Amino acid sequence: MSVPRSRMLDLMKAQCQVFATTYNPDGLRLGNKVLRQRLRGPALASYYPRKVATVKMMNQMFGMKVPKGTEENEETGSSDRSLATWDDAEEDRTTYVEELKARGKGNPKKKKEAVVKTKGFGKKKK
Amino acid sequence: MSHWRKKTLDIGCFVGSRTVRDHTKRLVFEQHEAERQALRYVIRNTSLPARARAEAQLQLQQMSNYTRPTQIRNRCTIGGHTRGVFRDFKMSRFNFRMQAMAGVLPGVKRASW
Amino acid sequence: MPFSLTRRAALHEVSLVARQRAYPDCSRQPMLALAGSRRSKASLSGEADRKPNLSTQATSEPESPRHPRSVQALHLKPLKREAEHGIPSCDLQLRSYSLQPLDFFCDFALRAAYYLGLPAYGPVPLPRITQRWTVPRSHFIFKKSQENFERITLRRLIQIKDGNPETVQLWLAYLRKHQYYGIGMKANMWEFSELGGQSVTKQNTRQYETDINAAWPHLGQVKPLESALEADKVLNHRLSSEASGPR
Repeated sequence: MSVPRSRMLDLMKAQCQVFATTYNPDGLRLGNKVLRQRLRGPALASYYPRKVATVKMMNQMFGMKVPKGTEENEETGSSDRSLATWDDAEEDRTTYVEELKARGKGNPKKKKEAVVKTKGFGKKKK
Repeated sequence: MSHWRKKTLDIGCFVGSRTVRDHTKRLVFEQHEAERQALRYVIRNTSLPARARAEAQLQLQQMSNYTRPTQIRNRCTIGGHTRGVFRDFKMSRFNFRMQAMAGVLPGVKRASW
Repeated sequence: MPFSLTRRAALHEVSLVARQRAYPDCSRQPMLALAGSRRSKASLSGEADRKPNLSTQATSEPESPRHPRSVQALHLKPLKREAEHGIPSCDLQLRSYSLQPLDFFCDFALRAAYYLGLPAYGPVPLPRITQRWTVPRSHFIFKKSQENFERITLRRLIQIKDGNPETVQLWLAYLRKHQYYGIGMKANMWEFSELGGQSVTKQNTRQYETDINAAWPHLGQVKPLESALEADKVLNHRLSSEASGPR
């Protein structure tokens, strides 16, 4: 004794109402799965960490030296408005470069004329 | 493509031309994601007229490649390398090892069992 | 006289106070889960705890006044309340990479639950999560020499049974306010409501408005400073100077 289709459809309708799902008895492709997908734009866009304040930035902005003869230092007599602090990374890098130069291992001199390699022997200077 | 790129640099980690490009693609995708999803829905909806679906298909195809999510690739934030990048740390495998040995990564230690 | 014999005895006769157990080794230490041992269900109070806490030195008078009970309780294991029906109200999961802050914060959460009147069960240790990565030691080729790294996440579960939803929310907010470093928390809450869901009616909205307006003055941790005197008081207060740290 088989169940009539209308009864099955009524059951499906009731189920969909209870569980808040879409009622699609014929199984048509309506593209609802695209609507169900969650948007992942914000998650992808926040992959790279944003710029933060660095010591280098602070030194650049606030570590200026005021030239003599301006209004500010006529009273106080100081020529320095620097709020710069020590930059460990920059100091390390500078000492390393100086060490290399002392040893004679620094960067070679930059050539003024561009050198073009020819197919044959030797190099042609442009 | 340069009209998508921001005038001031956004990123604080490793900066390279390719990293900037990838970052720009991510931002552009975020802006256009809703539009893309709508077009994809129209294309896949068989109950809509065929003409509308074809138009949506054409429109989606003509969108800039910067709007496509498949063009986005996870890069290493320290070296900018694309190969061997772990999602948990956003770092390539060698940089991950260097940082782990330095003790910078919380909870990560040498395993032995 | 607050420390008279008769008054003490009367207290102990009338109410059976669950005896708070001390930590083993006398010094206050967290319970360490032994490797390989099976943990029984979170113990609440056994037969031994239902006996009255009669002091053997009842005859001698104390020399100096004692600390408040809540301070004395700090040196002992946290007290727990019993749930009448046993229906879970809230599941709080705490995760950390290290054991000490996790155990400490679990302790803190249990004590807070006791003082709020919430029956808390736990901390139940959930299985550890181990993530492993095998990475070549070199930055280029040499795949045959690799190194293993791992990250172990320890977990604890504290369950509140038969908790009033508002009180549970208060407890969770309190824990969030006093967050501890290196610990992540997530909580699931269950509460009973009427069938058919709550419909938005004028009466409902008015009730919500009054509730929200009542809570507005208590929002935010800092009271607005109306005068310079008040600002001076706050700045010179012992707590603010202690909070800023030693100089």
